[in-house]
Amino acid sequence: MIRPAEPGSPAPLGRVVATELKPATPHQFHFWTANETTIGIGAIVKVEGPGVGDQGPGRVVYGVVTDGFAYSDLATPLHDVVAAEGDPARAAESPSVRQEIRLWTAAVLRQQPEEPLQPVPLGAVYVASDADVAQALRMDAYVTGAQPSGIPVGLYTAAGLEAPVYLDADFLLGPEAAHLNISGVSGLATKTSAVEFLLASIFEHFPAHKGRVAALCFNVKGPDLCFLDRPGALDDADRRRYERLGITPQPFERVRYYAPFKADGVNLNTLRTHPDLVGDVEPLVWGLSEVLDFAEVLLNRDDIDAKADAFIDFLSDRVLNKEFDDGFGGSHRVQTFADLNGLFRAIFDGLELSGRSDMWRTHHIATIRKVRNRLSNISTRCKGLVTDDGPSSDLPWGRFEDRTVYVVDVANVDPLGQDLVFARAVSKLREHLERRDLGVEAVVVFVDELNKYAPGDGPETYVRKMLLDISERGRYLGLVLFAAEQFRSQVHRRVVGNAGTTLFGRMDADELATPGYHVLSPAVKIKLATLPIGELMVRHPHFTQPIFVRFPRPAVLRGRDGVERFPPAADLPFEEAVVRQLARLDRRIRPNQVKDLIAERRPDDVRRALAAVRRTRPDDALAYFRRMLGARVAPATAPAREAVPPLNPISEEPY
Amino acid sequence: MKLAHLADLHLGFRQYDRQTPRGGNQREADVAEAFRRAVDDLLVQRPDLIVVSGDVFHSVRPTNPAILFLFQQLHRLRAGLADAPIVVIAGNHDTPRSVETGTILKLYEALGVHVVVDQARRIAFPQLDCAVLAVPHQALMQAERPALRPERGAAHNILVLHGVLEDIIDPEWSVSDYGSARLTRPDLAAAQWDYVALGGYHVLHDVAANAWYAGSLEYVNPRAWVQVREEASREVPGKGYLLVEVPGARTSFRPVAAARKHLDLPPIHGAGLTARQLDEQIAQRVAGSKPAIDDQVVRLIVYDVAAGTARDLDHPAIRQYKARALNFHLDVRRPEPQRVVGGGAPGRRHPLPDTLREFLGRRPLDADLDRDEFVRLGVAYLDRVGGEAAERAAGSG
Repeated sequence: MIRPAEPGSPAPLGRVVATELKPATPHQFHFWTANETTIGIGAIVKVEGPGVGDQGPGRVVYGVVTDGFAYSDLATPLHDVVAAEGDPARAAESPSVRQEIRLWTAAVLRQQPEEPLQPVPLGAVYVASDADVAQALRMDAYVTGAQPSGIPVGLYTAAGLEAPVYLDADFLLGPEAAHLNISGVSGLATKTSAVEFLLASIFEHFPAHKGRVAALCFNVKGPDLCFLDRPGALDDADRRRYERLGITPQPFERVRYYAPFKADGVNLNTLRTHPDLVGDVEPLVWGLSEVLDFAEVLLNRDDIDAKADAFIDFLSDRVLNKEFDDGFGGSHRVQTFADLNGLFRAIFDGLELSGRSDMWRTHHIATIRKVRNRLSNISTRCKGLVTDDGPSSDLPWGRFEDRTVYVVDVANVDPLGQDLVFARAVSKLREHLERRDLGVEAVVVFVDELNKYAPGDGPETYVRKMLLDISERGRYLGLVLFAAEQFRSQVHRRVVGNAGTTLFGRMDADELATPGYHVLSPAVKIKLATLPIGELMVRHPHFTQPIFVRFPRPAVLRGRDGVERFPPAADLPFEEAVVRQLARLDRRIRPNQVKDLIAERRPDDVRRALAAVRRTRPDDALAYFRRMLGARVAPATAPAREAVPPLNPISEEPY
Repeated sequence: MKLAHLADLHLGFRQYDRQTPRGGNQREADVAEAFRRAVDDLLVQRPDLIVVSGDVFHSVRPTNPAILFLFQQLHRLRAGLADAPIVVIAGNHDTPRSVETGTILKLYEALGVHVVVDQARRIAFPQLDCAVLAVPHQALMQAERPALRPERGAAHNILVLHGVLEDIIDPEWSVSDYGSARLTRPDLAAAQWDYVALGGYHVLHDVAANAWYAGSLEYVNPRAWVQVREEASREVPGKGYLLVEVPGARTSFRPVAAARKHLDLPPIHGAGLTARQLDEQIAQRVAGSKPAIDDQVVRLIVYDVAAGTARDLDHPAIRQYKARALNFHLDVRRPEPQRVVGGGAPGRRHPLPDTLREFLGRRPLDADLDRDEFVRLGVAYLDRVGGEAAERAAGSG
C-alpha cells in the first residue's frame, strides 16, 4: 500500500517494482499505481530512492512513462470465461471484484547523482513538478544562469500540471547543434502552426548575447504564411498557455512579403492581393544575371551534365555584361534574355553557314542547345519572376532586420521557378552570412514539403545538394533550417539526421511502422498516431527521451481564415494595376493622371518606370514616374522643301 | 531606304601650331578636308536620308572658316541630293550652355537642313514613310528626358541621338566624348527601332545589330592615341561614316581617307642605354616608319630614361624630326620611382626645384604639350616665387 503523505509534501502516486523478469535498470524501470491515476503515456515522474543513514535523501531518478499495462490475478483468460459461464453479462454479477493492477514502464530521463550510474531504486514515484521537469530535461543548465538561452517550445502537461519546456538556443540555432525538423500528417495545421509559434518564441526569447535573428520562409503552397502580420483568434486556454510560456500573444511585428509578378508583370502572383494587404508585398523579379548565377538548378533537375555546367560558367564569366565576339563577325553585349537569344541565334547561324564542325569554342552544339532550351524555358514558364530586360527587384541582401520574417511567396510559381528561388535565396544568405554582412547573425530558413525538395531517393538535384549543405554546414554560419514534411522516413537521411531538434505531430500509422521509429514503444506510437492538434512530441539534444508538449495556437491569422477575411482581389487590368501600385506609394495620385500618362505606352516601358519608382520611393511619385517614362515626342511632318536656289560662290575658300 | 549616318564632325577643331599656307590651323583644315571627302562620297552614294548625330562643330562658337565651310558643304549636299532630307542634331560640343548664347546651327535651316538643337523632335518624312526622332544633347540633359520610343504612323523609325552608353565609356574618356549624356541600353530599346544613329563615341562601334556609333571623321581628341589603339584592337577600318539599308539595318562602312596619319612608332625601352644608344634607336624608329614621318602626326614613347640621359639626347636631331612631322611627340618617360621602405637615417632631401622637375617630368601631359618646355616653365616659375620670397625676407629683415 502507498503510505499517506506527510503533511506539506506531495503524495506519491506509485512505487517502483522490480522482478527478475522485469528488473529496474539504469535506463528503464517499472512502477505501479492505483487504478485511478492522473498519469499516462508521456508523463514525467520522479523516483526518490531511500536515503542511507544521515546522508540525506537518496538517489533521485526522473523518467518518462513509455508504456502501461493492466492485469489481474487470472492465470489465463479461460478462468474468467468459465467463472462467467461464458456470458459476459454474468461477469458483472461476480460476488467479488477481481483485483486489477496498473503497471507502468518508464524510461529514465536523468539520475541524480549522475555517477555512479545505477539501476533505479525501488522508491516512491511522484508526479514531476515544474522544477522536476526542468531537472528531468536538463533545462536547468540553460534556462537559468548569467546568459540563459532557453526558447519555450510548449507546455508539458500531465496530472493537471503544466510546466514550460524550453529548447536550448545554442542547440536549436547553433553553434552547438542546429536545425529543426517537423513531421506530421498534413491537414491538421500542426506543422506550420508549430513553426509559426516557435518563430514567435525565438523572436521573443532569442538571447541578446547571441545577436540578431531573422527568418526567411518559403511559402510553397496555399495561404499558410500569407497573414503572419494579422492577429488570429485565440481562446482563453491559448492565452493562458502564452502567459505560462512568457510569450506575448501577438502577430509578428515585422513581416516583409515578396512575391513574383504574374505573366502580365503588374499583378502580383500571391494570395495576399486583398487591397488592404497587397501594399505590403514587394515584387520579386530577377534578370538574366541573377538567373545565370544559379542556372545549374535548371539543369540538374533531370540530368547531371558537367558540359552544360561548363558552358553556363563560360556564359557567366566571359559573355555576360561584356563585349563579346561570337567568332562569326558579330559582337554582342549580353545583358538580357533577349540578348542571349541573339547570341545563340548567331552561333547556330554561324555554324550552319560556315559549315564548320559542331563545336563552338570547345562547346558542342548539343550542349549549347540544351542550355538555351533550359534558359528559354525558365523565362517562359516563370514569366513574372524572370524579367526579360526589366530591372531586378530582390530581397534586401545586406539589410536584413532583426526579428523580421521575410516571406517569399512562390506558391503559384512553376516548380522549376520554386527551385530557382530557393537555390538563389539560400545561396545569397550563405554568401552574406559567410561575410558577416547580412544584417543579422542568424537566419532561420523555413521550408515545407521537404519530401519534395530533399527526398531520400530520386535524382540528385541542386536544391537537395543545397539543403544537405545547410544541414551540414549551416550551424557554423548561423544558417538554420526549419523543415517540415509529411513522411520523415522518405526525406534524405543526412538532412533529417543533422536536425538537432525534431518535432512530431500526428503521424500516419504506416509511417510509424518504418524503421526510423523502432526506438519508440508501441504505446508512444499509438499516442503519436492519435495526437490531437496542438500537441507535439519533441526530441532535443538535452532530452534523453522524447517529450510530449502542448503549444498554443499561433497568434497569427490562419491561412484559411485569412483568405476568407481578406479574399484575394481579382487580377486588375494593366492600367488599374499600375494606378494601384503608384497610389500605394503616393496617395495624392489620381487614377486619371496615371492613365493619361501611360496611354499608348508600351507595357514594358511602364513596368520599368514603375519599378524605378518603387525602388527610389521619391516624394513625388507621379513626377518621378513621368520622368522615368520620358516625355512623348509627337511627330511633325517635315515641311515641304523648297529647292535650294543656286547660290553665288563664296568669294573666298575657307581653308 | 538608304540612310547615311555621320557623327562627330567637330569642324573647327584645332590642334598643334602648324599652319596651312593660308595661315589657318593645319589640323582644322584636316578635319574640314575629311568632311569634304565624306560629302564627295555621299554625292556618289546618293542616300535617301542623311543624319548627323551631333557635334557638327567643335565648339559653340566655331571659327568663321568652319561656319563658312559647313555652309558650302551642306549646300553641295542639298543641291546634289535634292530629295534627301538632312537631319542634324547638336551634341555636347555645339550646345550652348545658356539660351541667350544662341546657336549658329540654326543658320543652316536656311538651306533646308533639319536642325535640332534643344528639344527632341520627331520629324516625319512621308515620302520615305519614315520618322526620325532627333534627340540633341540638351534634351538628354533635362530632368524629364524624352521617351526614346518610336510612335505609330511610319513604317521606318530612326533614332538619332548624341550620348554615351554607360557600359562602353572608356575610363580616360579618350574615345567617349567627355560631357556627353549617359545612356543605358534600356533607354535606347534598340530592338524597337529600325536603326539607332548614335554620336558621342569617336570610334566606329556597334552597340546592337541596328545601333551604331559611326565614329568621328578625324582624330578630334587630344588623346588620339587611345583611339588609334582601340581601332587597332577592334580591327576598325579607320575613320568614316555608315550607310544603312532600312529595314534590316544592314550597315556598310564608308571609309574616309585622312589627310595624314597618326603614327605611333614602336616604343623604346631605355633602361641601361646611354644617350647615344637612345639616339640611335630613335633614329632607327624614325627611319623605319612607314609611311615616313613627314607631315604626319607622330608619337614615340621612350621608357625608363633618367633625367640626365634625357638632357644628353641629340636634341638637334629631334628638332629635325619635329620639323619634318606635322607633330613629333617624343614622349620620354622617367623610370618608375622605386619605393623603398628603409630604416636608419633619412637620405639627403632634394631641393624643391629638383623635386618639381622630377614630378613634372613624369606627370601625364596632353599629347600636344612639349614636356621639356613645360618643365622648364614650371621650374622658372618656382625660381621666380623663391626669389620674390627671399627679397621680401631681406626687406623685412
